[in-house]
Amino acid sequence: MKPSPPRDPLGLRSELSPRSQLLLLVLSFILPLALWSAISYLPFLWHPMVRITEPGGVDYFQKGQLVDRQVFSEESAKAVSAGLAKPDGHRANPVYLPAPHEVARALVTAFQTPPRLPTEPWLHQSLWHSVTIIFWGFTLSSLVGLPLGILCGSFRAVSRTTEPFIEFFRYLPAPAFGALCVAVLGIYDAPKIAIIFIGTFFQQVLVIANTVRKVDPALLEAAQTMGASPKQLVTRVIIPASITDVYTDMRILLGWAWTYLIVAEFIGTSSGITYFINQQGRYRNFDNVFAAIMMIGIIGLASDLFLAWLGKQIFPWKGNGRPSILRLFFKALAPDYVK
Amino acid sequence: MNIPKSLTLAAALVIATTAGAFAQAKKEPLKIAYSDWPGWIAFEVGIQKGWFKEAGVDVKFEWMDYLPSMDAFAGGKVDAVTMTNGDALVTGANGGKSKFILLTDYSNGNDMIVAKPGIKSLKDLKGKKVGLEVTLVEHLLLLKGLEKNGLKQSDITLVPTPTNETPQTLASGQVEAIGAWYPVSQQALKAVPGSKPIWTSADAPGLIYDVLAVSPQSLSARKEDWAKVAKVYYKIVDYLKDPKTKDDAVKIMAAKVKVSPEEFATFLPGTYFLTLAETKARFKKTDGLDSLYGSTAIANKFNVDNAVYKESQKPEDYIDASIIESLK
Repeated sequence: MKPSPPRDPLGLRSELSPRSQLLLLVLSFILPLALWSAISYLPFLWHPMVRITEPGGVDYFQKGQLVDRQVFSEESAKAVSAGLAKPDGHRANPVYLPAPHEVARALVTAFQTPPRLPTEPWLHQSLWHSVTIIFWGFTLSSLVGLPLGILCGSFRAVSRTTEPFIEFFRYLPAPAFGALCVAVLGIYDAPKIAIIFIGTFFQQVLVIANTVRKVDPALLEAAQTMGASPKQLVTRVIIPASITDVYTDMRILLGWAWTYLIVAEFIGTSSGITYFINQQGRYRNFDNVFAAIMMIGIIGLASDLFLAWLGKQIFPWKGNGRPSILRLFFKALAPDYVK
Repeated sequence: MNIPKSLTLAAALVIATTAGAFAQAKKEPLKIAYSDWPGWIAFEVGIQKGWFKEAGVDVKFEWMDYLPSMDAFAGGKVDAVTMTNGDALVTGANGGKSKFILLTDYSNGNDMIVAKPGIKSLKDLKGKKVGLEVTLVEHLLLLKGLEKNGLKQSDITLVPTPTNETPQTLASGQVEAIGAWYPVSQQALKAVPGSKPIWTSADAPGLIYDVLAVSPQSLSARKEDWAKVAKVYYKIVDYLKDPKTKDDAVKIMAAKVKVSPEEFATFLPGTYFLTLAETKARFKKTDGLDSLYGSTAIANKFNVDNAVYKESQKPEDYIDASIIESLK
C-alpha cells in the first residue's frame, strides 16, 4: 500500500492538486465580485447616499438626485421645522460605484451603440486604435531595449556606459514629455507611441540586464574553458540560458506599456479607449467607465494568456516562471494531457 | 536603353515628383484643433453638413482636450486653434503667437465659479481655497470677480486643479469653490448638491471672448482659405439662430459631446453666439468689454499683474479684422 502523501493544504511544501488549483483560481475572481455585489445590493452595508424620490419642500432637491445621507437628514429636518413637505428617498450608492449588473449591461451595450455622428468611431474601433498604439510603442521599445538589455547584462563596459543614465532617466515621468512629444512628433499617433516608449524602454533595459546577469557563472566558466569567444559566450550561453526568463520579463513589461496608455492618449487628438473613458467620466456614466476599464483588463489578460501559450511553443524545454491561468484550467479539466 | 533616353526618363521622374510634392503642399488641408465648448462644437455642424467642402476649402478639424489643443498649436502642429482671447495671450507670451480672425462667441454664464453650500458670494471666499486651472480663463474670471467685490488674489488660496477634475475636487470637500466651464461646471453642480454658481461670465459679459486663433504664417499664406472658413462659421451661427433649423444644429452638437439634445440646449444661453454683423461691431476698437480690443487689453493687464507672464502683450498684435471686414 502506498503511503498517503503528507497533508499540505496551503501548498507550502508541495504543489496543490489540479482540482484545488482550479478552485482557488475561480475563487480569486469570485471573492472580489462577491464583495462588490454585497456592497451594491445590501443597502445596510454601505450606501452612504440618498436617492431622492420626492423633493418635498427642499428647493434644490430634484427627483433622482443623489445627496449625502447627512445632507438629506439636515435638509429634511429644516423643511419640517419650516412647515414644508418632508422630502423622501431611499439609500443608494454614490454614482461612481455602479452595481455589477449595470457594468455588465454597459459592457454589452457599449459595443452595440452606434456612434451618434457618422464621423465618430465605434467602440471596437477605439479599442483597436489603442491596441495598435500599445503594439507599436512596445515593439519599438523592445527593438532597442531587448538587445541593449542583453548587452548590458553581458558586458560590464556596456552596462557602465549606459545604465547610469538610464537609471536617471527612468525617474523622469513619461507624462512630462507630453507637450514636447507633440511639438516634435505631431498630434496623431506618433507622440502617443513615444510616451509608451518612454514609459517602457528604460525599465525594460534595466530589468532585462538584471535577468541576464543572473545566468549561472559556472556555465560561463565551462564555456570559456572550452575556448568560447566573447561573441559565442553571448549567443551560445548567455542568451539560451536567460531567454525564458527574459521572455517572462517581457510579458510583465507589456503590462507597463498598458499603464502608460491613458497618459499617452491624453495628448494630441482625442482617440482610443481613453477618449471613451474621459468622455463617459465627464458625463458621469460610471457604468461605462467601469466597463471600459474591464475591457482593458480583459484584453491585457487575454494577450498575456496568448503570450504564455506562445512561450510554451517557442521554449518547450523550460517552464515559464509565471503560471498560466489557461494551463491551470486545462490541467484541472484533463490532468493527464497537460504537463 | 541608351543613355539620353534614361536621362530623360530620370529628369521626367524628378519633375513629376517635384510637381507632385508642390501639388501636395498646395492641397495640404488647413488643420484646426477644437475642443469641448459650445461655441467651438458649433464647427461640427459645418463638418457634418459638408459646408466647408461646399465653400471650396479643405479643412481638417482635430478634436482634442483644451490644454492639448493649445500644446498642439504652440508646437506648430495645427494651423489654428479655438481659444479664449485671454488664453491666446498666455499661449502667445509663451511662443505660440496667433491672429484672431473671427469671434465665435462670448461666454455669457457658462464659465463659472461654483461654491459649495453655505457660501453665497465671492466675499465669503476670503481666506478659503479655490480649485481651478491657474493662469487660464477661470483664473481671469475669478480675479475680475474678486476685484468687483473688493478682494485681492492674496485673500484666497488657489489650488491648481485640471478643469476636468474640478467636480471631484469640489465633492471631496478639500476646496470651498472651483472654477470651470460648461460642461464640467454642470458636473460640479450635480456632484455637490446645494452648490451654486456664485460668479459667472454673465456677470462680466465680454470678459471672455472665444476666438479662432490662426498662426500668422498660415494666415498670410492662405488668407482666402481662412476667409472661407470664417464665412462658413457665420453660416453655422445663422443656422443655429434660425428657429426653423436650430433643433437640427443642437442635435449635431449634442451628439458630438454625447449628451441629449435637451440637456445641451439648456446650456446654450450661457454662450452668446455672435453673428457676422455682431462680430463686426466687436472688432471696433474701444476700451470696454463690448470690444475685442478692450477685453483683450483687460485680460492682458490681469495676466501681467498676476505674473501669468512677464512681457505685456498688445491686443493689436493679435487682432486681425481684415477677414471679418471683407465678409458680407
